[in-house]
Amino acid sequence: MTESGRGTPRQLTLDVQLDDDATLENFCDSEQTAPLLALLRDPSPENAEPLIYLHGSADSGKSHLLQAACQQAAAGTACYLPLLALRDYPAVDVLASVEGLALVCIDDLQAVAGEPEWEQALFDVVNRCRASGCQLLFAATASPRELGVKLPDLQSRLSWGVTYRLPAADDQRRQEILTFRAAQRGLKLAPEVLEYILARAPRGLAALMALLNQLDAASLQDKRALSRPFVKQVLGW
Amino acid sequence: MTWQKCVDCLQRELPSQQFNTWIRPLRADIDGEQLRLVAPNRFIRDFVSDKFYPRIVELLQEILPSQSIDVSLDIGESTAPAFKPAPSEAPRVASKAYADPVPVAETTSVPRTRHDDSGTRAKAAPQTGFRDSGPMVSGTAVTRQNSRVRSEPVEGAINQQHFLVEGYTFDNFVEGKSNQLALAAARQVAENPGDSYNPLFLYGGVGLGKTHLMHAVGNALQQSKPGAKVVYLHSERFVADMVKALQLNAISDFKRYYRSVDALLIDDIQFFARKDRSQEEFFHTFNALLEGGQQMILTCDRYPKEIDGLEERLKSRFGWGLTVAVEPPELETRVAILMSKASQARIELPPDTAFFIAQRIRSNVRELEGALKRVIASANFTGREIDIDLVKESLKDLLALQDKQVGLDNIQRTTAEYYKIKVADLMSRRRSRSVARPRQVAMALAKELTNHSLPEIGDSFGGRDHTTVLHACRKIKELRETNSDIREDYKNLLRSLTT
Repeated sequence: MTESGRGTPRQLTLDVQLDDDATLENFCDSEQTAPLLALLRDPSPENAEPLIYLHGSADSGKSHLLQAACQQAAAGTACYLPLLALRDYPAVDVLASVEGLALVCIDDLQAVAGEPEWEQALFDVVNRCRASGCQLLFAATASPRELGVKLPDLQSRLSWGVTYRLPAADDQRRQEILTFRAAQRGLKLAPEVLEYILARAPRGLAALMALLNQLDAASLQDKRALSRPFVKQVLGW
Repeated sequence: MTWQKCVDCLQRELPSQQFNTWIRPLRADIDGEQLRLVAPNRFIRDFVSDKFYPRIVELLQEILPSQSIDVSLDIGESTAPAFKPAPSEAPRVASKAYADPVPVAETTSVPRTRHDDSGTRAKAAPQTGFRDSGPMVSGTAVTRQNSRVRSEPVEGAINQQHFLVEGYTFDNFVEGKSNQLALAAARQVAENPGDSYNPLFLYGGVGLGKTHLMHAVGNALQQSKPGAKVVYLHSERFVADMVKALQLNAISDFKRYYRSVDALLIDDIQFFARKDRSQEEFFHTFNALLEGGQQMILTCDRYPKEIDGLEERLKSRFGWGLTVAVEPPELETRVAILMSKASQARIELPPDTAFFIAQRIRSNVRELEGALKRVIASANFTGREIDIDLVKESLKDLLALQDKQVGLDNIQRTTAEYYKIKVADLMSRRRSRSVARPRQVAMALAKELTNHSLPEIGDSFGGRDHTTVLHACRKIKELRETNSDIREDYKNLLRSLTT
């Protein structure tokens, strides 16, 4: 069961891990990401792009989107391969036969760029997926050209699809995300409260979401709106 | 439903990364009290059996306390298997003790098939009484209509599938100066296979259309002789097939299969480098096909003699037929490619926008195609007509990167590095050949790659006059026609500045 949050803020008390719930509904859309979201939301095979490549800095939402796309697919038809976690395993084994799925999401390409064994296995996977009609979704911290891929055959294949850069999680973006995720829970954050939180919260988005969880739970429990003094009290600032 | 409940529990318990990596790709087949979980590959299966199996069993017991469910973990078949053992000969998959390993081909018993090539598969199977290889992965209506699946059961022990992409034809290949020789040769081969141009060896950088030409020949052959056995594959697939055949003790089937084709198309043969056993096998296949008058087409990223780690005897044989280079497309061809791709996608692409994109993206056709797709996606989403502004917006990042890469500074630095001289030498008054020539090359590159005016370019090279730049550009243009070293240098620099 996933929790989109819209109109169902109270579900949170039912121990659903919203912060870990990477769905398309939970992604804070922006003008820049709207075309990409539209592409990902439409999984119909006739519209599916054979290869989509996302790049952006840490916290720009790459892993979220890859997992959301994966989540949207039926069980047994998609997989998510975070290469940062998998790089020490044999590339050929990790990527064996994945072209039999409908969607393969490969995250953290930068973790293996420049490693011949991985590059060749990825090159092979792109070819196999092209042939079998399996959709590929890649994410990395840099664009195909800047990724430092040594195998030109792989580099050109990575630039073959539709490439999107995700906006960095700068202050404005963090503010948008916090507002969006709070609204999903039915929480209203007044501008001064938003400012207060963002000025003091840790930079990372995961930490920010954890903090929002904490505020949400406290607000539900005490039946109080998120005023500045209440936030101060809950977070001990 | 039981499995779905179990999945829901796991989804709540596991971090989403773990869930999506290990649990989501599992496909479940339930038969009474038997739950068979199928992983796409051995790696995922082993990981699941190591880390999650006990929890899965536990959860299933909680969900259905009254029943004891027997859970097995297997590996599923991919859609494009290399060599598939026949049921009788299949080795059992090495596995954990509790798993009930089923030979891959036995997945047949599951009646779940998918998508539009099932017809092809169903037809292929009964020919030799070979069992349908069973389930593809479920629930995915994958667009396969563009590929022609060749499913070849051979001697009951090997089942091959290879793809000719029907979309790659001569009709939609855009001809230009850079590829006309290769195109002419390919057409010739399509008309007279196995004749004088055997093998046809196409070489050139990545994303220039070698694969397209190869498929075009294959499709033409199949059209003129329906039922012809035209096999296309990547060199890695050949290697993987061979390794599998060796493991299965089916090397004679492997040989028979590859020697029975009417035409063999192998892409990117540079990946044969340092794979001695594959080279050996390919050498014999090559000889047999040549003797039998069966056509071979090979592609490579470089001239055969330059492939390191490839046996001399293979290199020399590659040169027995016709070796043709495919060069990067020039501006006009890039424009024509964009127009052609847009019309295939039924998109109105105004010529000035095609020109704009082609001028800036010069590395290879794949990147050109990627850029066009990005523009089309933006147009579709916003409902706007494609114009220069939309192109600039949607390709903002790529163009910014491009500008950075081909700025005057970078051109000077890259050229100096290439000729192993200092950037200061390029700016200096020195006029010795070893400095003056690279300076001229750099000026010509600056003229070609940037929008700077001649005076600006002159200025950036130690305050030179615009006529000096003009002279440099003319000189280099002339030398590229007459001097192969300069031609090569210019090409290499252009490549490294634009990819």
